[in-house]
Amino acid sequence: MRARSLRVLGCVAAISLATAACGGVGDDTAGGDGSEVSFGGETTGGDGKAGGSDNEINVTGSMTTLGFSVEDEIAKARVAEVKQAYPDLDLKVTSGAFDEQQFLSAVAAGKPPSAVYLPRSELGTYAAKGALLPLDDCIEAQGIDMSLYRESAVSQVTYDGQIYGIPEFNSVRLVLANSNALQDAGLSPDDIDVSDWDGVMAASKQLYQTGGSGIQRIGFDPKIPEFFPLWVAAAGGELVSEDGQTAYLDSPEAVEALTYTVSLVDANGGWSDFKTFRDTWDFFGDNNQFVADQLGAFPMEDWYLDVLADVSPNAPVTAMPFKDREGNLLTYATGQAWSVPKGSNNPTAACAFAATMTSTDAWMAAAEASKADRKKSGGAYLGTWTANKEADERIFAEVYEPSGIESLDQAVKVLQSLQDSAIVDPPSPAAAEVKKAWEDAVLRALQGDQSPEEALQQAQKEATEAIADAQ
Amino acid sequence: MRPETRAAYGFLSPWVIGFLGLTLGPVIATFVMSFSDYDVLSSTQWVGAENYRDALDDPHAHAALKNTFFYTALYVPLSIGIALGLALLLQSAGRLKGVFRTVIYLPVVTPPVATGVLFLQLLNGQTGLINNVLGTFALPTPNWTTDPMWIKPGIVIMSLWSVGSVTLILFAALAEVPAHLREAALVDGAGAWRRFYHITLPMISPAIFFSVVVNTIASLQLFSEVYTMYFGATTTPPPEEALFYVVYLFEQAFRDFEMGYAAALSWLLFLIIMAITAVQLVVSRRLVHYRSD
Amino acid sequence: MSTDMTSVPATAPLAAAREVTPAPTSPSPRGGAGWARRVAVWLTCGVFAVIFVYPLVWLVSASLKPRQDVFNNKLIPDPFAFGNYAKVLEELPFLQWTLNSVVVGMAAAIAVTLSSALVAFGFAYFQFRGKNALFALVLGSMMLPSAATLIPTYLIWNYLGLASTQVPLWAGNLFGSAFYIFLLRQFFRGLPREIFDAARVDGSGFFGLFWRIALPMSKPALAITFILEFQASWVDLLKPLVYLRDESLFTLPRGLKSVLDQFGQGGQREWEVVMAANVLVVLPMFLLFAVAGKYIMQGISVSGSKE
Repeated sequence: MRARSLRVLGCVAAISLATAACGGVGDDTAGGDGSEVSFGGETTGGDGKAGGSDNEINVTGSMTTLGFSVEDEIAKARVAEVKQAYPDLDLKVTSGAFDEQQFLSAVAAGKPPSAVYLPRSELGTYAAKGALLPLDDCIEAQGIDMSLYRESAVSQVTYDGQIYGIPEFNSVRLVLANSNALQDAGLSPDDIDVSDWDGVMAASKQLYQTGGSGIQRIGFDPKIPEFFPLWVAAAGGELVSEDGQTAYLDSPEAVEALTYTVSLVDANGGWSDFKTFRDTWDFFGDNNQFVADQLGAFPMEDWYLDVLADVSPNAPVTAMPFKDREGNLLTYATGQAWSVPKGSNNPTAACAFAATMTSTDAWMAAAEASKADRKKSGGAYLGTWTANKEADERIFAEVYEPSGIESLDQAVKVLQSLQDSAIVDPPSPAAAEVKKAWEDAVLRALQGDQSPEEALQQAQKEATEAIADAQ
Repeated sequence: MRPETRAAYGFLSPWVIGFLGLTLGPVIATFVMSFSDYDVLSSTQWVGAENYRDALDDPHAHAALKNTFFYTALYVPLSIGIALGLALLLQSAGRLKGVFRTVIYLPVVTPPVATGVLFLQLLNGQTGLINNVLGTFALPTPNWTTDPMWIKPGIVIMSLWSVGSVTLILFAALAEVPAHLREAALVDGAGAWRRFYHITLPMISPAIFFSVVVNTIASLQLFSEVYTMYFGATTTPPPEEALFYVVYLFEQAFRDFEMGYAAALSWLLFLIIMAITAVQLVVSRRLVHYRSD
Repeated sequence: MSTDMTSVPATAPLAAAREVTPAPTSPSPRGGAGWARRVAVWLTCGVFAVIFVYPLVWLVSASLKPRQDVFNNKLIPDPFAFGNYAKVLEELPFLQWTLNSVVVGMAAAIAVTLSSALVAFGFAYFQFRGKNALFALVLGSMMLPSAATLIPTYLIWNYLGLASTQVPLWAGNLFGSAFYIFLLRQFFRGLPREIFDAARVDGSGFFGLFWRIALPMSKPALAITFILEFQASWVDLLKPLVYLRDESLFTLPRGLKSVLDQFGQGGQREWEVVMAANVLVVLPMFLLFAVAGKYIMQGISVSGSKE
């Protein structure tokens, strides 16, 4: 008798577990499919509040966000704008960076946040999985003018012809060189022209220094794997097609870019010593690699200028644009976006929130607040970069003032020149897997485990499979 | 049913319920899931043995398995050997015994995450303490954390720091070797080494065997220290040499949400551990001597 | 719960819960040779002691250095940067994490001690058919890698809506854990049967036997169970990584990992902050070891001595 009841219990347990696993979002009633969701556009009439303005939307109730923290002035000022615009909205911001697992388990459990703040590069994946709502109705209801946003950013939040996110920040890359080291090696900034790969290699070799306990100064750090897409674009290729559906990780351009950048690292001591040395830099401190003369030049994200302005405004830094091999300006942009998950408890508020947070007025207020804060703390204000072109134009026309520190002001000019020459990671249904595939491939090539061709061929196979699986 | 039996079942019920609901049920569910494609968001799809075919074809799974085996094969014998040496040392430490035992055990009390963070620094090729010491003795100073060849040996060194628990087990076993046996051998004029080999070693062989089995199982599931050192939010992707099996399983399940594939990986690990333990049991029949007391 | 994959090798030992009876030490050799031998032994001990302790000394020293000195490998910080600790406590919810670790550790330890004792008593006191087979199953389940149950367990908690709470970190312990059941059963079996028989005659129920007689008489074994589990829970990283998403719910190991990601290699490279945080994570375990080291070492020592 006991044996039988045990067996029955076991089966029950297994079955209940299997069903727990079987239920996906598709079976959930919460949210339904996109067509039933209202972003407030047509409900206005029903409310007593609806007045003459056809743009008046009743934003009340409660809403939650995920992936966003209200820590700096730029966030605070914009959240204040939201609260001012919608005093009846009960807004709860769950702090912490976007966490895929947190988001997916919340969606799977039927309790997603009302709005989610996530990297634009990952948005396509969630759109493909059906975890996000298309925002076309939202854009219409809120009257958001998508033409104000940078094209490259909008392309990242567009999947299969529909828009799934409202772009937020925009971060680009530029080249930062150590002017003292250049002078030391008898070079001028013109010698670090990244359109001339042989020239960069030659300059790097002149800047590279070793001594006592190993490397003392890296000549030119290509910043791979992180910036590999930039190098591929410089060689005239792309890692993934614009629609995100086809991977070209082993294209001749990619192989060429990897071969070159690996040779750069090899010329700077080889990956193992190179990384070991780089890990000892006081990257965010006042004894950073420019001050301590541990680096010749590298491409870097724009926010690093803010770090320098904070900790070592007088570091010997010369900024210059990244370029493709034909000499055209080129950069690689990344950023975040606001999206509304499927099953959001308050899409109307989420949409209004996203629209307000990314509006020109909110960005202006944020820029002013940031500038005031920087002034108070004694750091130079170097501008605020957003995916909203109108906001950027106004910030740099009305808020930004040159700091008087020549190197930083010159860097800001370089940044301004780069904004419209950006490549981005296209929206891919398997963005994370594709990225992991090429990152790992670059690392294998750096470590000498595989040749660039072999490494990228393996990555291409992995990426292609991942994209096929995600369909 | 006798009241006694009913009461007995009552006492056992927590474990029985837990076993069915949290052990047997999940093991079966893992097996069932391993034939599915499930990503938490979309509905489950049944894919037959595809996950297992993928695993056989997946270079990362191969690397993870290779690394894990390499580590286990290096770490387990070294840890047993060193622990045995330390246990013998401890036995003859006299008045220092208590202090020395505490000192050896301190690293075991250190949380694995903390050990990972600490050794990330100690193993650094350029500034690390370990190379600092090696350099003083004019020994080679490899880049333990970035050179593909040295990453796993570095991890073994870190693990060996926590050899204290095995040491204590073997020390306890040594303490149980009856003095009269050792003394008898002494009288017989057996040399120290022969005495150890023919009397002490057989007598503590069950403890050694136990340590081998438990350490093997734990090594095959190494996670915390390695994950701390090389995974999570890092600016460069983790080197493939640091990809251990459970780390890969964790990343598949909870970063990529390939639950079905991860379930297949779990099940494979389960089989591997069972097989290795079974082999160890068979081999032990010839090598381990159980006292008949 | 059984073979915890995050535990360092052999902290989940298979053990017989009986006192170690140290064999009488062999007569110490006298004379010059014995003296020389003793010095050699002590020197060797000293070398190994340095190997085991110095990394911890290095850690404490590094945690008190200004950023540019963290990696200089000097023993005494110059100057002392106590501000590193202030920064950790200011910028991170470290006290909250410590409190979380205490709460989770207590819940896990209490749950596992009581439930394991209950089951162990069932095995120790009663005679019934199939007992040996069932007990073999208990022992067998110890060998099961927790990876084999990780994913469905997560899905169960997710299904129950508890996947992002601290509950999964300890609730599984309510059902007993094989190693502790084994340990406590051995101990209960050592209790004189006559006491229980007398209580039965006096009209005590079975639960009374367990609660009023077996438990009070087994305090050392219960203490070993409690402390080993508290320690295991305290150092666990995998479960908190799987379940805890909200920073305010983090336990110390999960918190330290996020400090490393934020201030270490993944972030700002303020290694002095990481080192200070690391000391604060290690310290409570050392305090526990200072207070209850006897139980911890006993728990480990007795393992492997039988079966």
